[in-house]
Amino acid sequence: MQTGTNTSSRWFSYVGLGIGVLLLLCSIQMYINIQQLLGGDSPRKEGYDYISISKTITNETMGQLEKNLFNENDIKDIAAKPFVQGVSPLIANRFRVQLSAGDIIPFSTDMFLESLDNNFIDTVPPNFTWQEGQNFIPIIFSSDFLEIYNVFAPGYGLPQLSEATASQVVVYITCFGPNGEKQTFRGSIVAFSDRINSIIVPKNFLNWANNTFGHTTDVKASRLYIKTKDANSPDFLSYLQQKDYKVNKDKTKFGRIKQVLQGIFSGLGIFGLLVVVLALMLFSFYLQLMIARSKDNLQLLLMLGYSPNWLSRNVSKQFIPVYVLVVLAALVFTEVMQWAFHHFAMFDRPELSSILHWSVLGTAVVLIALSLFTNYRMVRRLLYKLV
Amino acid sequence: MLSSIFDIQHSIFNIIIVMQLQLQQVLPVYFENDHRTQSEVWRHDLTFTKGEYVKIVAPSGSGKSSLMHFLYGLRNEYNGSILYNSNSLKNFSPEDFASYRKDHISIVLQDMRLFPEQTVWENIELKRQLNPFHPAEKIREMAERLGIGNKLSSKCRTCSYGEQQRVAIIRALMQPYDFLLLDEPFSHLDDKNSQNAMQLMLEESKLRNAAIIFADLERIDYFPFTRLFHL
Repeated sequence: MQTGTNTSSRWFSYVGLGIGVLLLLCSIQMYINIQQLLGGDSPRKEGYDYISISKTITNETMGQLEKNLFNENDIKDIAAKPFVQGVSPLIANRFRVQLSAGDIIPFSTDMFLESLDNNFIDTVPPNFTWQEGQNFIPIIFSSDFLEIYNVFAPGYGLPQLSEATASQVVVYITCFGPNGEKQTFRGSIVAFSDRINSIIVPKNFLNWANNTFGHTTDVKASRLYIKTKDANSPDFLSYLQQKDYKVNKDKTKFGRIKQVLQGIFSGLGIFGLLVVVLALMLFSFYLQLMIARSKDNLQLLLMLGYSPNWLSRNVSKQFIPVYVLVVLAALVFTEVMQWAFHHFAMFDRPELSSILHWSVLGTAVVLIALSLFTNYRMVRRLLYKLV
Repeated sequence: MLSSIFDIQHSIFNIIIVMQLQLQQVLPVYFENDHRTQSEVWRHDLTFTKGEYVKIVAPSGSGKSSLMHFLYGLRNEYNGSILYNSNSLKNFSPEDFASYRKDHISIVLQDMRLFPEQTVWENIELKRQLNPFHPAEKIREMAERLGIGNKLSSKCRTCSYGEQQRVAIIRALMQPYDFLLLDEPFSHLDDKNSQNAMQLMLEESKLRNAAIIFADLERIDYFPFTRLFHL
């Protein structure tokens, strides 16, 4: 077959195909790298993230309690999302609470209490229970709060406390009703929590106290605790953004980066795909041109009795090796890039692999198969027209 | 005894079915209906069988090349049908045509249709390779016999029409066939060369027990036809 003198369009299409495939494969591999680096594979307690969210208080909503608290519908809506494995409102006291340390430490302050479902608390000792009539209230205290206390205690002439000592201190919790009712309970810290920045009391106690002193039973929470497989999941973050919920920034910082990076590499991947499509189109134009140019010869061969299928296989044989070579070259480049990225940029971190992910190899195979199939069919169709 | 007669009949029946080329009411779509009255081929039912020598005498413009092209499957602008093995050529797929031309029918076209940039030997070998009936040495032997032995390595475009015609004839004889179609094969050859070529074609056809369908402007004495038609 005469291929003609104008082979530059063929080479352009090969180079274009190579660049496109390279872009596409690199994007897929980087996308997977990001998943592996920032995904939910890092070891965590029970394999879940627990994060608290609150509504963003803006100047417009300031002072409007209804708009700043989560109502039951909000809670149901969140609980129904596939990326949320559990949700529990952090219910606060709706009455005045005063805390005093008795005689040992002359310290007394207005305080707040909150309650949360037990399974959302990281440390729940067996004595963290309360029954009506019980005077002792177990408290789970935030480790952060103890730290803050130890920071300012010396300035006020108060003793600094270790966790063990703090657990032994008996505090007095006084609840005040709006009509002057008042009841004092004894309490002590039974556990410290790293997860929850609050002072947690048993849920049934707070419900009872809210009812007794605050005369309310509605569930209106200013904070929600959410149990999720991956606090960095883009779906989860975009949901929060859309609802204008505020979240612990630290926990989701990675998520933002991941979102942006995934966006960039998705864009690159789509661009690569476009280049691949363009290159394939260019190549098919080149093939059509080649066949149009050799039309007389091909027609003569068909007239002699050469099978159009055999001829199209023969025409295809000319570009199949080049195609395979181009994609293989792109694959090798991607492998080198991945190795360099893993070795030099990521210092051989164990989450990543220097070897390409199987889906990248799969994509390469699919690309080869697809381009061969479409071009073979096109050649055959053109030859059938000549018979 | 009875069964063996039946067998013979059966096999004869088979041969007839397999080796027939039939024309049924064929008329080119671009022809007027008045051809019907004059022609012995158009708008007639004809059956050509293996081993026959059919002579078709056709003045210019009577559709001689059209008929040959129709029979070979190069064109299909006709009404009626042409059947090979009781299968209509109009239903042939491109692959069917390929095997039809490779195994069953061979043609010498008036316009030769050679690859101008290939040598004589390459042009013939290209056909031979497709379905070799003869070994490659036979090319040289036939070329010598028809007087173009010294031209084998020349490009076809440098050959004269007479030489090209002989190349086309040898090319047609490289494959097995049941029917050999000749469309004015000697238009550029003198009588001596024509007789020589005719002799070769007759020998080759006898070898295959094939039919020759020979279309020309007038009767040629050295073609021993068994049937004669005026187109």
